Amino acid sequence: MIARAPRNLSALLVLGIPLLWIVVFMLLPYGIIVTYSFWLKSYPTFKPAFQFGNYLTLLTDVQYLQVLGRTLKISILVSILSLGLAYPFAWWLVFRCRSQALRTWAYMAVIAPLWVSYLLRAYIWKTILGTEGILNSFLMSTGLISEPSSLFLYNQFAMVVTLTYIFIPFMVMPIYTALERIPLNLAEASADLGMGPVQTFLKVTLPLSTPGIAAGFTLTFCLSFGDFIAPFLVGGPDGNLIASVIQTQFGAALNWPLGSALSIVMLIIVLAIVSLSDRLEATAHTGAA
Amino acid sequence: MKKTLTAMLTLGLAAGPALAEGTVNVLTWEGYADPSFITKFEEESGCKVSATYVGSNDDFAPKLLGGGGIYDLITPSIDTTALMIDLGLVEPLDTAAITGWNDIYPKFLSQEGIQRDGAYYGMPYVWGAIAFMYLDSAFPTPPTSIADLWNPELKGKISLWDDKSSIYVAARKNGDMDIYNLTDEQIEKAKAALVEQKPLVRKYWATAGELVDLYKAGEVVISNTWAGYQSGLLKAEGVKVTEFIPKEGAEGWMDSWMVVKDTPNKECAYKFLNMQLSELGQCGVANVNGYSVANAAAAKACMPAEQYAALHQDDPNYLDSLQVWQALGDRFEAYTNAWNAVKAQ
Amino acid sequence: MAAIIELQRISKHYSKTIIGVDDVSLDVEDGEFVTLLGPSGCGKSTLLRMIGGFEAPTHGMIRLAGQDVTHVPPYRRDVNMVFQDYALFPHMTVGENIAYGLKIQGRSRAQARDMAVDALALVGLPDKIDQKPAQLSGGQRQRVALARAIVRRPKVLLLDEPLSALDARLRDQMRIEMKHLHEKVGITFIMVTHDQEEALTMSDRVVVMEKGRVAQDGRPQDLYDQPASPYVANFIGTTNFVAGSLTGRSPAGTRIASAAGDFTATADLALPQGAEVTLGFRPEKVRLLAEGETAANVVPGRIAEVIYYGLGLRTTVELAGGTQVHVDCLLPDSLARSAVPQPGAPVRLGIEPHNVFVFAGRVAA
Ligand SMILES: Nc1ncnc2c1ncn2[C@@H]1O[C@H](COP(=O)(O)OP(=O)(O)O)[C@@H](O)[C@H]1O
Ligand SMILES: [Mg+2]
Repeated sequence: MIARAPRNLSALLVLGIPLLWIVVFMLLPYGIIVTYSFWLKSYPTFKPAFQFGNYLTLLTDVQYLQVLGRTLKISILVSILSLGLAYPFAWWLVFRCRSQALRTWAYMAVIAPLWVSYLLRAYIWKTILGTEGILNSFLMSTGLISEPSSLFLYNQFAMVVTLTYIFIPFMVMPIYTALERIPLNLAEASADLGMGPVQTFLKVTLPLSTPGIAAGFTLTFCLSFGDFIAPFLVGGPDGNLIASVIQTQFGAALNWPLGSALSIVMLIIVLAIVSLSDRLEATAHTGAA
Repeated sequence: MKKTLTAMLTLGLAAGPALAEGTVNVLTWEGYADPSFITKFEEESGCKVSATYVGSNDDFAPKLLGGGGIYDLITPSIDTTALMIDLGLVEPLDTAAITGWNDIYPKFLSQEGIQRDGAYYGMPYVWGAIAFMYLDSAFPTPPTSIADLWNPELKGKISLWDDKSSIYVAARKNGDMDIYNLTDEQIEKAKAALVEQKPLVRKYWATAGELVDLYKAGEVVISNTWAGYQSGLLKAEGVKVTEFIPKEGAEGWMDSWMVVKDTPNKECAYKFLNMQLSELGQCGVANVNGYSVANAAAAKACMPAEQYAALHQDDPNYLDSLQVWQALGDRFEAYTNAWNAVKAQ
Repeated sequence: MAAIIELQRISKHYSKTIIGVDDVSLDVEDGEFVTLLGPSGCGKSTLLRMIGGFEAPTHGMIRLAGQDVTHVPPYRRDVNMVFQDYALFPHMTVGENIAYGLKIQGRSRAQARDMAVDALALVGLPDKIDQKPAQLSGGQRQRVALARAIVRRPKVLLLDEPLSALDARLRDQMRIEMKHLHEKVGITFIMVTHDQEEALTMSDRVVVMEKGRVAQDGRPQDLYDQPASPYVANFIGTTNFVAGSLTGRSPAGTRIASAAGDFTATADLALPQGAEVTLGFRPEKVRLLAEGETAANVVPGRIAEVIYYGLGLRTTVELAGGTQVHVDCLLPDSLARSAVPQPGAPVRLGIEPHNVFVFAGRVAA
C-alpha cells in the first residue's frame, strides 16, 4: 500500500496533466457555450435562463437554415472538388510517377502552401480571380473573352475555388498515405485473377484507400465548414457562411446565447461527420489490420 | 540565484505602480492615437500611451466584457455610447477638468447618447458623414441619389457597408426618413429593398481597406463611405473618386472619448483627454484620418483655411443636414436581425 | 504431350546495362512441374513475370497453348500466379479472396462459394473461409494464395519463391503438399526458387539460370549427375574442382593429367589433346581407400581437416599440387568411429570414372 503510493502519484501526474488540459481547454469552454445557449438575450446583454428559445429561433427563422444549408453545400462542394483533384493526383504520384525526385517535388508543391499564411493564400486568389486579375488578363490575351468578366470573384464559385486550394493538402496527404500503403502486388494479383484496370481500381485500390478518403473528406469538410475568411475575402453578397453568422452574433448583434446555440449545432454536425468517418475507417481497418 | 530572484521581484513591485500611473491604455480606432501627435504628448505629460485598435463598434463591448479591465479609455461612436453606459462599463466625466469643453459644437454636446442623469459620459472628439462615393470615370453625370445604388445598369459594380447602416440607407431610399425610429413594417420594407438590390451588389465592404481595394481593383464604382477617409486613401493611390451627399441625406457619426469605470490611471487619462481636445489632438487626428473635429475653436486655430472649409468645420447647414447616429436601444436587435437576414439570403 | 508454354528467344532489357533475361528459349509440357533455379538476380522472377504478363519482353515471343500471348495483359491470360508474399486482399475474407477471380469467369455467387470451399479443402483449410487474411498464420496465407490461384483452373500456375517466407519445418512440409497438389490438380506448375534442394525434390524438370540465360535444363538427377558446366555443378550440390589437361583417350575413357595425379573419366569431350580442362567430382562420390584397397582412379593426399556432422564426416584432403578437396563419408556404425582419420595422415582417394566430370577450360578455384 505504502509502496504503491508514489506510483499512484506519478500515474496521477501522467494521466492528470492531459486530463486537466482537456478539462480546462476543451470541456470547460464547451460547457460555457452550452450554458450560454440556454440563456436569454436581454438588452443590453443577456441573462441566465434555461429555455430552448435560441434553438427554436434557429429552426424557425429561415435565415439560419439558409446559411446552414449554404455552408453545408459549400463544404461538400469543396470536399468533392478536393477529392476529385487530390485522388487522381495522389494516385498518379504513388502508382505512375517513376521518378522519385519528381514525386517528392510534386508532393511538396501541393503541401508547401501550408507553410504560407492562410490569409495570404486566400488573398492570392483575389488577385487571380478579380475583374482586372490574372485569369481575366489571360483569357483576354487568348481572345476567349473580349472584356473582363466579373463572374470569377465575389461569389460562391470563388469561395469553393479558394477553399479547395487552401484545404486540398489535407485531402492529398491522407489519400497519398493510404495509397502508398497498398502493396503494389495487390493490383498485379487482381489483374492475374482476370480483373481489368478499372475493376482492379474499384475492387482493390479504392476500398483500400477509403480510410484516406474518409480522413481527407472529414478534414476538408470540417475546415471549410468552420471557415469565415474565404467569405470575407472572396465571397460575394450571397456568401455568408455559418461561422460568419456566429461571429456576428458574438460581435455586432451582441447575442451570445444565439451565437452559442449556433456553435453547438455546428459542433454537433462536425462531430456527426467525424464519427461517421471514424466508423468508415474502422470497417476498412478491420480488413487491413 | 534566489537572491537575484528576490531582487527582481522587489524591483518589479516597485516599478509596477509607477509604470501603471504613467500609462494610459486606449481601445480606439486607428489614427486616434497616431504617433504623429501622441509622441509629443508622451514627452510632455510623462504618460505612456498604449493603443489597441478596433475594427468596428461591435468590438468595444465584447472586449470590455470578456475580462477587460486593462483599458482606460475607449472611443465608441454615438450609436454605441449609450450601450456602454447601459452595460456599466464607463464612468461620468469631470467636465470641469477638461479645458475647451465649452468650445465643442453644441450639436454634439446635446446628443443624448453621451449623457445620463445629468452627467456627461463621453467627450465629443471627431465627426463625419456616412457619405457616398463614386468613381469619376464611371459617371459622366454625377449621381445625386441613393437610388443610383439600385440602378440595374450598375449591376456588379455596387458596394455597400456591411453594417446595420444599410438599413438606414434603404429606409431613406424608401422615403422613411426617421431612420432611427423605424417601425417593424418600415424595417421589413428596407429589408425587401436590400434583397432586391443584392444581385446588383459586388461585395458588402467590411473594412476601410477593403473598400479601397475594391475601387483600386476596378471592382466597384459606387458605394457609401466614411467621408474623408477612404476617398483620401484612394486619392493618394491616384484613383479619382468623388464623395457626395445624396438628396435623401446622409447619416452623421461622431466618436467620443469615454473613461472606463474605475480606471486606476485617472490622472493620465484626463491629461490625455485634454490633449485630444486641444489643437494638438484635434488637428492631429484631422491630418491623419481626414475627419472633422468636435472642438470648433481648436479647429479654427490650427487648420489652414482650405482644410477648415473642406472639413465643413464652419458649415452649420452641412452639420444640420446629417442625421447623427442614435442608440437604437431595444430596437437594435430588429435592425441587426433584418440586416443579417438580408445577408443570409 | 503438347507444349503448353513456348518461350522463343525471350529477352528483357530494363536498360542498356540492366539485362533481366537474355535470349531464353524454353518449352514447358502440359502438366509438368518445372522449376527455374538460380541465385538472386539471375532473372528468374523476370522470366516468370513475363509468362504471367506483368512484364513485356523486349524481344521474343511467348505462346500459351499455341496462342501468341506476348502482349496480352495478365487479366486476359489463362495463367495464375502465387506471389512471393501472397498478395492476399486484406479487405476481403478468405472466401472472397478465393472467389475474386471467379465472377469474371461467369460463375454465380453460389457456384463461386462452392468452388472456394472445395479449393480450401484441397489446401487443407476447410474452416477458414470467413476469416480475414490478417487472422491467418504465414503458412495458412500461403495455402489461401494457392487455393486462390488454382480455383480458376488456369492452364499454368506460376509460383514465385512460394516457400521462402515460411520457416524451415513448415517449408519441408509444404514441399510435399505442393507436390501432391500438383499431382492432384494436374495443372502445369512453373516455380521459381533459389533453393536447389527445393528444386530437386519438387520438380519434374529444373531450369538452372545464370545471368539471365539458361545454364542447363533437365531432370533433377541428370543435372546432378551430368552438370553441363562448373556453374551448374557447383550450384546443385557440391563439387570438387581440379585443374588438368587432356592427355588422350583409352577404351576406359578420357585420360586427364593433373598436378594431383592422372584421372580416367567416362565422359568424352570433343577436345584436342593437351586442351585445358577442369575435373570435377562430388565429395560423396569419393572413397577413402583402406590399406590394399584399390579403384579405377587412385589419388594420394594428406588429411587437412575433419569435420563431424552427425550423419558422417566431411574430410578436407590436400592433394599434390596444393588443391584441397572435400570427401564425405558416412559412418555406418560406432565401430567405424575408431577409424576416424586424423589430420596429417596420408590417405588415398578412390574415384570411379563415371563419377568424374570433365569441363572444358579452367575455372578459378
Ligand atoms: N523493374 C526493374 N527495373 C530494373 N531492373 C530490374 C527490374 N526488375 C528486375 N531488375 C533487374 O533484373 C535482374 C533480374 O532480376 P530478377 O528477375 O528479379 O532476379 P531473380 O528473381 O532471379 O532474383 C536483376 O539484375 C534486377 O536488378
Ligand atoms: Mg525473384
